[in-house]
Amino acid sequence: MATLKEILTRRPVAATIRLTVPAGGARPAPPVGPALGQYRLNLMAFCKDFNARTQKYKPDTPMAVTITAFKDSTFEFTVRSPSVTWYLKKAAGIESGSSRPGHVVASTVTLRHIYEIAKVKQADPYCQYMSLESICKSIIGTANTMGIQVVRDL
Amino acid sequence: MAPLRCLYQLQVLPASFRRPASMRSRSRLTAVHTLSSHMLQGCRLADRFSVLLSKSPATGGRTTGNRGPCSFHPELRKWRPREFCTRAGSPRQVKDDTAVASSPSSPPCLSVSIHCCKRESDALSEALLCFGASSASIDEPSDLEEDEEICITSIFTIDQDVSTCISFAAKSIGLRKTPNFEVTVSEDFDWIANVKETFQPIQVTDGLWVVPEWSTPPDVHARNIFLNPGMAFGTGEHPTTRLCLILLNGLIKGGEAVLDYGTGSGILGIAAVKMGAAFSVGVDIEPQALSSARQNIALNAIEPGRMPLYLAPVKDQTRSDGLKTRIESFDVIIANILLNPLTELAEELVSYGKPGAVVGLSGILHDQVPQVEEKYSKYLESISVSEMNGWACLAGTKR
Repeated sequence: MATLKEILTRRPVAATIRLTVPAGGARPAPPVGPALGQYRLNLMAFCKDFNARTQKYKPDTPMAVTITAFKDSTFEFTVRSPSVTWYLKKAAGIESGSSRPGHVVASTVTLRHIYEIAKVKQADPYCQYMSLESICKSIIGTANTMGIQVVRDL
Repeated sequence: MAPLRCLYQLQVLPASFRRPASMRSRSRLTAVHTLSSHMLQGCRLADRFSVLLSKSPATGGRTTGNRGPCSFHPELRKWRPREFCTRAGSPRQVKDDTAVASSPSSPPCLSVSIHCCKRESDALSEALLCFGASSASIDEPSDLEEDEEICITSIFTIDQDVSTCISFAAKSIGLRKTPNFEVTVSEDFDWIANVKETFQPIQVTDGLWVVPEWSTPPDVHARNIFLNPGMAFGTGEHPTTRLCLILLNGLIKGGEAVLDYGTGSGILGIAAVKMGAAFSVGVDIEPQALSSARQNIALNAIEPGRMPLYLAPVKDQTRSDGLKTRIESFDVIIANILLNPLTELAEELVSYGKPGAVVGLSGILHDQVPQVEEKYSKYLESISVSEMNGWACLAGTKR
């Protein structure tokens, strides 16, 4: 982390922007437009870059992207896979989590789903140091808070 | 009371519940319409407000007529922010093509400023995204301690329940109380104007410049392409556009027929005509891009007949008649799009060219080149690749 800090302090950072953009669908319209335009970043360059890099994902999957805007109007961004909650909702086939997690069960997913989700998440820059087992555990924890029950057969 | 041009700015702490009189005394007219949703939730101020606001329709400031909290029904007793917002902002449908640069067709959105501690800001912005925010930005002053308050600016669509989302997000990361926040309905053309300011004249190669509409060309003797990009892609700054322009510069000798697929702002087609091509045809999948291209064609003093524009068919639709008649009639085909459309449209794109036509493809990254090459190798021969900054441009001749 020390070297990362050194790299970051080389150019003064103006802001950190987090966005959810559909893969291959970045356009200068909201949400991208207002969020980036505020810091005078080159919208078109970002859209083109982001779309090119997310071509390998299924179109319109909501990708989480973190943009670091520097004071000289340049920027860098990292794209991460969609949030765990989104994967769980898709796997369980529901639109939103349960309104009373812990009491009302919204839907169920199998351990196989959890394993597949963990494999995708492991490719994320954040989770690379974690073992597959610990990623699975955190996914199960998220599922519990959403009211999705995990069934223990494969 | 001042005539209602409708814009009050109110800031109320969520914990306390002010009486209407004191609130009115704290309000001031500004050009921005702001409201605090905590205050509005289920409050009996609704009737007070309806009296205040029903005086005149909203015409204030830069908002358009249909953005009217003032057209608020006086009988409404329970006034929830969501209802307020949907009434306040019906999306403006801009059908007028020619006004694309100044009045975008996107609906207004809510910009929320949330105050929280620096150490929680990362987690809170992630949580906000999970619970429905469109974006969350944090300004980064480097001289703040961990405990100090900073402001997260979050954008929501106009019909979202902002307070519920924020309270869920706060609870999910373990904050004990919901942070204070203020909601603003933000104007679209703020950010568009901002973005426009960043365009400068660019020299693509020797004797070829791309100049924004509002500035003077640095070199009057060079070939200058004037642009007003609006919401369409193609300002000449991006490596892919430059690669394509350099390719065209080398190819066009005079009198060719050029097809610009995925024309965006029309820059490649216009450049081809300026370099001496007989005519060029622009195709794009977005109507907004076509109107932007139309503007640029006029800006560069090219007759519309010399660069006709067509709307590309969406999947499963048939091509327009204008395009059907032009199969096998182009000398140069240039397509600066993305990997997926390029691979899907391979056969169609190549079918527009005469045998021996040159096909140029861009919008692909360095590591996507093998895929494109494989797909096009059965249609094109002598494929060459040029690269700039990690982006690549493939060129080949039709068999």
